[in-house]
Amino acid sequence: MPRLAIAMDLGTSGFRAQALDLGSGEMLSTAITTRHPLPGANVIDHLHFALELGVETARDLMIQAINQVIAQLRVSAGDVVRLAVCGNPTQLSLFQGMEIRDLAFAGSRKLLALGVVPPKRAAAIRSAVEFPGLVLPGECAVIIPPAVHDEIGADTLALILQTGMLQDGETTIAIDYGTNAEMVLAHEGRIYTGSAAAGPALEGQHISCGTLAIPGAIADLEPVGDKHRLIVLNPEMRPVPGSLIYLREAVEIAAAAGPKALAITGTGVIAALDQAIEAGLIALPHIRTADSRLHFGKDIFLTEKDLSEAGKAIGAVRAGYFTLSVAAGIAPAEIHTAYLAGASGTYMDALKARRLGLIPPRVKAVRQVGNTSLAMARELVMTPEKLQEMSDLAGRLQKTHCMFALSKTFASVFILELSHWTEGMPMAKYRELLSRYRLPDLPAVDAEPQVHRTVKQDIAEPGRIGLVTLEHVGMVAALPLDGCIGCMTCVQVCPGNAISIRQDTNPPTIFLDHALCNGVACRRCEPGCPTKVFHLNDFFDLTLGRKAAEDDSARSKRWR
Amino acid sequence: MKMTDVMAYTGPDEMMFGFAKKPVTTRRGLVIGGGAVIAEVVPHPRPGSEKTMRTLLREFERANEDVLERCVNIGVPSVVIENEHVFQMTDNAKWGMEIAALATHQIREYEEQYGLKAAYRATIADIRKPDMVNLRDSDRTRKVLEAFDACARHAEIVSIESIGGKEIFDHAIIRNDITGLLFSQAVLGGRDMAWLWPQIVGIATKHGAIPGGDTDCAQANTAMFMAAGFTAKDVPHTLAALCRAISVSRSLVAYECGAVGPGKDCGYENPILKAITGLPMSTEGKSSACAHSSLCGNVMAAVCDLWSNEAVEYHRLFGGSTPAVFAEILSYDVAAMNAAIALGYQKEYQACLIASDRYRSLHGFILCPDNAWSIGKAVVDNNESYYVRAKAAAMTCAALMLADQQLRFTTFEKESLLGYLKEMESLPPTEANFIDLCLKKYSKVKGFLPAAYGL
Amino acid sequence: MKDALNTAPIFTRYDLAIENAQRRTVRQVSEDALLQHVADCLVAGDEEETQKVVAEVLNDRAPLEIINKGLIPGMKEVSRLWDLGEYFLPQVILSSDAMIAGIALCEEKLGRTLEKKAKVVTHTAEGDIHDIGQVIVNSLLRVAGFDVINLGADVPVDDVVEACRVHKPIMVTGTALMTTTMTAFPKIAARLKQAGLEIPFVCGGGAVSEDYVTSFDLGIWGKEASQAPAMAEDALSGLSWSEMRTKWNG
Repeated sequence: MPRLAIAMDLGTSGFRAQALDLGSGEMLSTAITTRHPLPGANVIDHLHFALELGVETARDLMIQAINQVIAQLRVSAGDVVRLAVCGNPTQLSLFQGMEIRDLAFAGSRKLLALGVVPPKRAAAIRSAVEFPGLVLPGECAVIIPPAVHDEIGADTLALILQTGMLQDGETTIAIDYGTNAEMVLAHEGRIYTGSAAAGPALEGQHISCGTLAIPGAIADLEPVGDKHRLIVLNPEMRPVPGSLIYLREAVEIAAAAGPKALAITGTGVIAALDQAIEAGLIALPHIRTADSRLHFGKDIFLTEKDLSEAGKAIGAVRAGYFTLSVAAGIAPAEIHTAYLAGASGTYMDALKARRLGLIPPRVKAVRQVGNTSLAMARELVMTPEKLQEMSDLAGRLQKTHCMFALSKTFASVFILELSHWTEGMPMAKYRELLSRYRLPDLPAVDAEPQVHRTVKQDIAEPGRIGLVTLEHVGMVAALPLDGCIGCMTCVQVCPGNAISIRQDTNPPTIFLDHALCNGVACRRCEPGCPTKVFHLNDFFDLTLGRKAAEDDSARSKRWR
Repeated sequence: MKMTDVMAYTGPDEMMFGFAKKPVTTRRGLVIGGGAVIAEVVPHPRPGSEKTMRTLLREFERANEDVLERCVNIGVPSVVIENEHVFQMTDNAKWGMEIAALATHQIREYEEQYGLKAAYRATIADIRKPDMVNLRDSDRTRKVLEAFDACARHAEIVSIESIGGKEIFDHAIIRNDITGLLFSQAVLGGRDMAWLWPQIVGIATKHGAIPGGDTDCAQANTAMFMAAGFTAKDVPHTLAALCRAISVSRSLVAYECGAVGPGKDCGYENPILKAITGLPMSTEGKSSACAHSSLCGNVMAAVCDLWSNEAVEYHRLFGGSTPAVFAEILSYDVAAMNAAIALGYQKEYQACLIASDRYRSLHGFILCPDNAWSIGKAVVDNNESYYVRAKAAAMTCAALMLADQQLRFTTFEKESLLGYLKEMESLPPTEANFIDLCLKKYSKVKGFLPAAYGL
Repeated sequence: MKDALNTAPIFTRYDLAIENAQRRTVRQVSEDALLQHVADCLVAGDEEETQKVVAEVLNDRAPLEIINKGLIPGMKEVSRLWDLGEYFLPQVILSSDAMIAGIALCEEKLGRTLEKKAKVVTHTAEGDIHDIGQVIVNSLLRVAGFDVINLGADVPVDDVVEACRVHKPIMVTGTALMTTTMTAFPKIAARLKQAGLEIPFVCGGGAVSEDYVTSFDLGIWGKEASQAPAMAEDALSGLSWSEMRTKWNG
């Protein structure tokens, strides 16, 4: 009987899992989701959900989704003896159903008032039986890597270990571009970590025509004369040439045989801004086209508001690595090598990203390394002793973590960024002010660095049985709603298209796709309901047999 | 109304680009003809943009903004922007007014932000068609005057290219009929202007705008464009030159009614008018090749106060939009002239401008300052009637051309000219008799309505 | 070539003109060289130098004179340059810091604090430590002459309500980057209402949406930090929270 193992990256924008044969070490299959099963698009949304509905509810929904992913691996779940997960502190805590309030609230005053004791989040090997509902055999080991801090988790440890950046000898930085951009700077044997709240723009969210990296997403642009060729992700998530477009106008010049572009993702936004700046179409904070938009064919565009959102995200990243440099006593220009991780880090054009400021200006080498979290989980199932190495590293990092929200350097530089992107402050003035603040200089980019693209996709090798993309992850709750008059208001106002309705039942049945829901902070569905019977929280009761009357006391019970 | 009887300039040597005897100052303080040449940039909207007021407004906003922005970027001290009305802007005065209001607002912003001195000229479209409506009494006539009233509230300068006599001119020019040209341009054109211009001056003065001037674009320029280049044969260049001389009689009427300049760019008769009136003039030449070709690209700058591009349709070029590009071209032309003034080389520079075109073509020849002044002198010396002074201008023009040793003609041009001279010599000496003759001769011309001219 | 060619009719160096205009206006703040020196330091955004110069000038000029004829006109000049797009937000903050430092020295000498336009209470939500937005709001309100009661970051609901009860501000602001912490805002609003304090409550920052803020009474959504001074002026002129919401939101 083969002994199998599953490695799983619990990412904020989706889960990625791989099945391996423990005996031979052979990779068997891969399954990925395009979304996270919980409502919302970032860790704060997920935490907010857990605060409102209870951490057990969040855990149960996650485990259910994990079961869906495991099924798509198409191996015998009963033969699995090891599962290793990797991810940020929020995802790993939700998966374990443990305390999350120290992650949801950053202020110590609030935590003290709530009486929250931040848990240790140390490395652990648990058994599957401790995870109610998990389809794996009860005795299957569940390997959970440690976190350093509420901002820096196993994903960051994976970033450090899987890139091999510490062996470089040079001053190196590794950045995982996400809603929270985790970054690690290694200089003369010391490691500095930080997490910049970049916001979701770099992942293509909160952008007019934006999307996460999915098939049909514009991931890059290549100049062709005064036009541009779209680079679009195909169904296998590989970037391939798409239509020829003209940034100035809403026209499609020539359609390509490749996939049709549906929306633009974060790396596409980065490429677009870089190319528009090169073409003189952007004079911050304005887009200098007839309608103040950049166009990518007939229906896809970026507005000045998108420019400002993306600018602030880029600014947060730059302020982040700037702050780490200062903590290490060097200038950002002294950083020699940059490792780019995560989906954004995989698909982004490093040269364009560097011109925009997402990569330190004077790096000599850039390495795009793909999904290091999944690689770490893979290593953990094959070699569980690695867990000790991670714990040792975590101990070292505790002292040199930099809380950007409390850093005066970060605040100063971020305000410069804000002014640059939203007021059009020129870089010359930016640099002049840096010197006034007695901070190191941020010179313009110089000669192109060596770019090593070690992976073409963020998952390099799908395995013998192949890759399955799970489009619909999580649960669709069906709720017959007494008093519903079928007016469709909730369906129409939902920005995520998460709600649908069946009118032929009595009363009408409302469906909510959890994974598409924007989160419990959105709630645009509720106020419009003319009969006031739509309550979002009702849709997250897993049994859905009864209407749960959520009130404060009921919720507080769950905390115990 | 008194017909001019004296020359403002005592001789052609006094005339110089950038200097007018009687400079004008706009309400924002821009001095025209006061010692420096200024570019007058004329953007024209793309076809289709006139479909709605919003699209047309945006088109002009973009174009005018491009001009102002380019001026600041290349350090132009002052500029005049002219917007020539397309039909809709005059037909619906609100359109013209909104555009004028926006343009002057843009100008104000650039002045406040950068100190750029600029002025806006609104040229109302003469939508009265003499073969369709009574020039003096029609809805279109009222709309023209309404448009003046609406635009003069905002524009610094107002102008028009009036078209009185156009119905007879179109009949005469294709028949090489010098009698008809004298009648249409001088008698009819002059009479229409003498009726129209006091009203324009009244409206402009009421709103504090400058009544600029008029041009015989509809007639003398038509003749010039039909004569065209060296290979064209439709109208002899000699006839086009005579048409130009004749046009002085009618274009002068605007100034006699109170217009104070700057004369409008496409009036190629403007050097002559400047010699007579001493008022500042806008002219165009090589830098209006975007609108039409001419044989007098440099000489037209010899005595200009504003230097224009006639009209350039809005398009994108490598160097920016056409209005921006032409603002730059004109401004460098102008900077060279102003540098010549600053260095004291203006006479030498003017001599170069003149010499490069003096013998290229007849039009270029008669518009050289010396000949322009002589034609003007003939006009003021024969201030008996529009007809008499126009005929004198034409005869003088012919004499000047025939007398010059270096000027050369094709056989066709020379023979035609001698024929026109002979015909003019046979015409009645007084305007009354000439009118009698013409009323008989042209009574059958389609659309000709003598009453529209008070005849 | 003639020497000293008059280039004025030929071209204009607008870039130099702009630079000169800046220098010129700064010079115009005061006829008094000492007070002008104070203003210059402030316009340059040099906090240390402003402190040093104010301390020196206090030997020769009255504290109120330094404030009213040096520091405040200097700050107005900074605001004007910012409106013109010549100055940028970081420079305004530097100058604001310099002004606060200068005024503090003058008040010390004066022996009392100066009357300000009105009070505004600012805070960052309980549980949130991302306070850059609030830092900007504080600076801009001070530049506009308001007395900022800065409660800082991670402020419990009770503390915000108590500060409003004690200080009776014309406006209170709340900043939150995380959706988990913005839930404190409706609680604060409800408590203020309960206490009979119908103070306009401007909420903004990161994840805070217009829909959310306008879903509870007193709430006005602040789109950008730069709106804060104009909103405070509205509150000062007596606009109610609902009138302010109509004006600024929707």
